Amino acid sequence: MAKKAKSRTIAVRLISMAMTGYYKTFSRPRTHRPLSMLKYDPVGKREYQIAVYNWANAEMLDTVKRQVLFLEQKRGGGK
Amino acid sequence: MAVPATTSHILLAQSLPPRLLHFFTRFPPTTTNQTTPPPTDPSRKTNPFTPFLNPRTQRWHGPHYSLRRQADLFKLAQEHGVLPLMPMSAKHPEEKLRKRVEHGLRVKGTGEGQRVKGKLWERTLGTRLEVRRKAMERMPDMIDLWKERGHGMGWKKFPKGKGKVGTGRENEVFKTENRAMWVYERAGSSL
Repeated sequence: MAKKAKSRTIAVRLISMAMTGYYKTFSRPRTHRPLSMLKYDPVGKREYQIAVYNWANAEMLDTVKRQVLFLEQKRGGGK
Repeated sequence: MAVPATTSHILLAQSLPPRLLHFFTRFPPTTTNQTTPPPTDPSRKTNPFTPFLNPRTQRWHGPHYSLRRQADLFKLAQEHGVLPLMPMSAKHPEEKLRKRVEHGLRVKGTGEGQRVKGKLWERTLGTRLEVRRKAMERMPDMIDLWKERGHGMGWKKFPKGKGKVGTGRENEVFKTENRAMWVYERAGSSL
C-alpha cells in the first residue's frame, strides 16, 4: 500500500525563551526554516500573587509580561 | 502510715469544690501522684485514670473516670491550684501540651521538626522563578543577537524540549558568554 503523502505544511510550537513554559503554535511550510519571533509572554501575574501571599522571599520574583524571544521547538525523530 | 494533716492541708481541702474533694478522698494524692503502668492490684488503688487489668480474672476494666470526667477534674484542679496532686492522664495539661508539641495542630507537617511537604508546584516554585529570572537577565542579549542575525535568519540553535524547568536544558540555546564570543569572532573576521 502506498504511503500517505506528507502534508506541505506542519504545525510547530514556538517556546518562550523566558523559560515560563508558555508557547504559541504556528504552521509553516515543511521546507521553511525554523520560525523565531518576538512575542508577548503573559506569564508572571499568577505566580507573583501566590508568592506574595505565601512566600516570605518575594523579592526573588520576576514577572515576565513583556515581549520576549520565541524559538521553534525541535521536532522529534518520529515526525 | 498516714501522714498527719496540717492546718494548711485542711484549709486547702476546705477550699476545694466537693467534686474534687470527693476525688481526693477516694484516691489520695500520695498514692496516685505518679505515672504507673496499668495497675495489677485488685484493690485499684493506683492511677484511677488508666485502664485496669484484673490479675485474677485477666479481664480489663475501664478507668474509674471517663475521659470527659477526667477533663472536668483537671479543669477544676487547675482552677484551684492542685494540679501537682493529680495523677497522670491523657487529659493532664502537661500531657496535652506534649502531644501538641509532638503533633502540632494535627495538620501533617506542623509539628516540631516537621515541615509541610506541599504540592509539586509549591516545592518547585522557587527553582522555576530562579530559572526564569536568569532567563530574563540574558534576554536583552539574546534579542540583540537574534536581531543581528537577521531576525532569526541565521539562528542555528533551537530548543529541544518544551521549555520545562529542571531538564538541564535551560542554557543549551543561548548563553551570554556565547554572544560575547560571537561578537568577538565577527569583529575579528571583519578586520
